[in-house]
Amino acid sequence: MTTPPAARLGNITKSFGRFPALSGASLEVRSGEIHGLLGENGAGKSTLLSIFGGRLRPDAGSLEIRGTRTEFGTPGDAAAQGIGMVHQHFALVPAFTVLENLALGYRSSRSRWTLPIPDLRDRAARLQAETGLRVPLEASVERLGVGDRQRVEILKALLIDPSIILLDEPTAVLAPSEVDTLFGLLDRLRAQGRAIVLVAHKLDEILGVVDRVTVLRRGRTVLTAGRDEVDGPALVRAMVGEGPVADPAVPDIPRPRGGRVPPGEVVVSLEGAPTSGLNGPLEIRRGEIVGIAGIEGNGQGSLAMALAGRSRPPGTRVRLPAHLGFIPQDRTRSGLAGSMSLVENLALALHRDPAYRTSRPGLPSLLRWSALRERAGELMERYGVSGPGLDAPVAALSGGNQQRVVVAREMALARDVLVAENPTRGLDVASTTFVHQQIQSLSSTGDRPPGVVLISTDLDEIMALAHRIFTIVRGSLREVPRDARSREEIGGLMLSGVEAV
Amino acid sequence: MPEILALTAFLEASVRLGTPLALAALGETVTERSGVINIGLEGSIIAGALGSALGAIATGSPLAGLLAGVVSGTAVAACFALFAVVLRTDQIITGTAVTLGGLGFTGAVYQARFGTTGTALSLPTLDAVSFPGVARIPVVGSAFFSQPITVYLAYLLAPALWYVLFRTPWGLSLRAVGENPDAADAAGVSVVRTRLHATLVGGALAGLAGAHLTLAHTGTFSEGMSAGRGFIAIAVVVLGRWNPLWVLVAGLLFGTASALQFFLQTLGLDLPYQLFLALPYALTLAALAGWVGRARAPAALARSWPPQQ
Repeated sequence: MTTPPAARLGNITKSFGRFPALSGASLEVRSGEIHGLLGENGAGKSTLLSIFGGRLRPDAGSLEIRGTRTEFGTPGDAAAQGIGMVHQHFALVPAFTVLENLALGYRSSRSRWTLPIPDLRDRAARLQAETGLRVPLEASVERLGVGDRQRVEILKALLIDPSIILLDEPTAVLAPSEVDTLFGLLDRLRAQGRAIVLVAHKLDEILGVVDRVTVLRRGRTVLTAGRDEVDGPALVRAMVGEGPVADPAVPDIPRPRGGRVPPGEVVVSLEGAPTSGLNGPLEIRRGEIVGIAGIEGNGQGSLAMALAGRSRPPGTRVRLPAHLGFIPQDRTRSGLAGSMSLVENLALALHRDPAYRTSRPGLPSLLRWSALRERAGELMERYGVSGPGLDAPVAALSGGNQQRVVVAREMALARDVLVAENPTRGLDVASTTFVHQQIQSLSSTGDRPPGVVLISTDLDEIMALAHRIFTIVRGSLREVPRDARSREEIGGLMLSGVEAV
Repeated sequence: MPEILALTAFLEASVRLGTPLALAALGETVTERSGVINIGLEGSIIAGALGSALGAIATGSPLAGLLAGVVSGTAVAACFALFAVVLRTDQIITGTAVTLGGLGFTGAVYQARFGTTGTALSLPTLDAVSFPGVARIPVVGSAFFSQPITVYLAYLLAPALWYVLFRTPWGLSLRAVGENPDAADAAGVSVVRTRLHATLVGGALAGLAGAHLTLAHTGTFSEGMSAGRGFIAIAVVVLGRWNPLWVLVAGLLFGTASALQFFLQTLGLDLPYQLFLALPYALTLAALAGWVGRARAPAALARSWPPQQ
């Protein structure tokens, strides 16, 4: 008789409204293995993991834990079953200290009238020594960087001594060397006989560490195999289906022209002092793509806001051109007005343009909606936006199509410079490639092409697109020397920033 | 020494006027810490006032009246919670409806029960209880320690609620729900149940505040006698920075502002008395407008959970 798997989820279905997120997803994970869960954006990886961890309830499907049929329950039930979860968007309370976060939901044998803080402090200290996950226990979480926050998440998951550990895209916020440390830890947890499910979007990254993989496509499990039975291309085929295949990690785009700085006048310049939170200098010329690489939470947000002219950190001098386009990281929050229609969202940028205003003497100037509709239709076609139509609310579009709307609008505005902050985050392969191509053609077409600032946490994206690369570490910008353009070296600079010349 | 007597009377009035604000604000502190803002507090206060009046008349016992007031305030808060917490309606609109509904409903019940004759209702009242030692301290002694039992309840509840919120697992869960319901949910805390409990606690204390108005303060019930105290209590919570200890202090401070209006009127200044009536409300505006400094509201305040799709 063989030992039953640590857990088996069978034929899970789950819909959000009319949208089917999962339609027949299965996952089996064994003790003592690292199991990779792969799939494109929107394939249902996070949904499946959330159901596993008790955060979501499936519409149908079965769950077995160590061979015993079990009902899906709450996160508390899952924890009681020995399932620990590390969330992609950290499930921490920023206003609490690390210890208070660890205490949250921690079932202690002590009285319900006192917090088990001293007890927890001991346990956490022991766990830190065991795992090497060092974080200041008394610090409040809002003052920690993303790397530290993730360590808290992992500590929290390990505190219940889980037999099954679920990690949702844990590498997205880490520098290459931190990823190695994390994988080292997972290795040791595997050796202790725990079952580990690992979701990651970078194929090459996780192939080195997993024992088996499961691939989801459009909410369905399409492949489960041992690591040795499949290779990269086969997995990519499983993820995207038949047809033209692009490696999702490194989209198929031409390399920048030899790193040569193309001639062109300076359109943006930024100077800052170390005290201002942004430390330049940074100059952008027409026709070049400047990449800003950094681990999330190192001042990219305020840099983007400063370059887009939305805010200016005190002590920083920024010179901006007249015609600027800005693709914000969070399209739903600062890029689009979700309940307004596609035409209206495009009009938001064009409503000051005289071409779209009436001018009759003695009368107030009104918007020429027919012209705006026409323009919106053109842009939709050119940027391949597919959706329910010009008058439907933009929130009804898929994430990729929403991003195309933002890209279309901002590129039309970017006659001098385009500032793009993580423009492909959360997009699938096709849309990512499309955005990359648009950025490249924007910066290389015409007599006076605009300059582009590409702020991204995806190092591959930057290396593929940028003519010049800067790293940003705690708000300090440093240009990466031309001869140091390798993943390892830039990764090292992103982490410390001290080795830069 | 008439000045000293006047000062004692002034302080005594400050505590008596501040107590209902403090009680309601202490309850609202618990509610808001869970991420629910109950603008319907006024409805709970007026219901507590009427309930305590009816209870005291029916039993002849002011203590039974007090209990009836607590039950009435809790019932109104339960009504708010059913909509705002369970059915996830907008908290501000629901709270406004509960306030207006509470004022109208209590008025209707009062008229149906006592008619519209205009004769004031006379209720059995809570007597002042003097603490033998401390009540003899000159000036402040009798002002703070020769008061009805509801005043002492406010004194005791402030540190008790502080302990519960900041030192117990239930308090930690409750604050987590108010800061980041997703994180609380992920940690196995039931967000809806926690918010339900917190809202009921708030309603119970608002009911107690209403009972204080009838049984300890005025000895009668009149329509609309809560007079905006529910809204002032919400400002008191802000001024007290969502910390029960400071909320008690802030409540008494607002009581002082209310007492000041009577005190200033007795001075015979040649100013319209409405100006003094406006004093507590002006203080409310000042409190909301940033006197509070960098106090931070619970991050998930007024946001329903789980978020609507």
